[in-house]
Amino acid sequence: MISELLINAFLVTIMLSIAIALIKTRTVIFTVILTSAYSLVAALMFITLDAVDVAFTEASVGAGISTILFLAAMAYLPKKEEESISSEFIPALSCIILGGILIWCSYDLPEIGQVTAPIHQHIAPEYIRGSKEDIGIPNIVTSVLASYRGYDTFGETIVVFTAGVAVLALLQKKDPTKKNKSQPKQKIRKNA
Amino acid sequence: MISSTIGIWNYWIVFCLMMIGLFLVIGRKNFLKKIVGLTIFQTSVFLLYITFGKIKGGTPPILNETIDSIYSNPLPHVLILTAIVVGVATTALGLSLVLRINTEYGSIEEDDISAQDLVDYHDDIETGKSVDLKFKQ
Repeated sequence: MISELLINAFLVTIMLSIAIALIKTRTVIFTVILTSAYSLVAALMFITLDAVDVAFTEASVGAGISTILFLAAMAYLPKKEEESISSEFIPALSCIILGGILIWCSYDLPEIGQVTAPIHQHIAPEYIRGSKEDIGIPNIVTSVLASYRGYDTFGETIVVFTAGVAVLALLQKKDPTKKNKSQPKQKIRKNA
Repeated sequence: MISSTIGIWNYWIVFCLMMIGLFLVIGRKNFLKKIVGLTIFQTSVFLLYITFGKIKGGTPPILNETIDSIYSNPLPHVLILTAIVVGVATTALGLSLVLRINTEYGSIEEDDISAQDLVDYHDDIETGKSVDLKFKQ
């Protein structure tokens, strides 16, 4: 049992190092590739945590489609990130304080993998029993997704549709018969 | 001691990842980096949920007649499956907003954009144009 947890701890530490590299890098292509690697390691973590469906989706959607979107957007954007003039001290300090509070609270959380944790008591045993008797699908995740919580999936479809419409509205070409009001303004120097 | 540290080590690192994501969103001025920060934050929240659902010695929640096994909690898996797809929709929307900002301003740095807005504002005041019109068009 302890080996499972060790593998988890190792993988999650790799994720931490990738995230720190993301803070350091200022080149856009490195940022995109590191994000993709982060998603892939997250997919590995999901496999060791028994969430095979989630791992599958994360590897294809999180590491695949997101990366394609980022690469496509990258082609039209500046390749380098500029150093910001304002200080990053206050955001960093507030993040560190919030993280400290969260880690302090983590002592109240149940240890990983305990059967007595509250999350395993309430409705999950019903789903596991009902998946075979009521629905007859061996994959419990599928039966919960499509049957018990079908409304959630319906709402997700609406969200994706809305996002698609919004992306189309934002990226549509301007009507050439109208006067083009918004020329890209001249780039001004930072200290202007 | 060691086993209890390993038992909550995942939580600690996941909280650190969340804070790194939050820092990228609020600390960096580059809009693409902000969206990357959102992605990092999302994925770490997914990890937190899936970690809650794990049972020691459990198997993936797929019914199996031959061996008598204990299944990990399927409910967080379902919620996170939904959240991953919604997360990609958010990323796509954010990236298209960034592209639109880049065509309007020629830059995706927050400092540049607010400086340009300030210059426009003062130009409008000097030429005697009503400032409100600028926001109505």
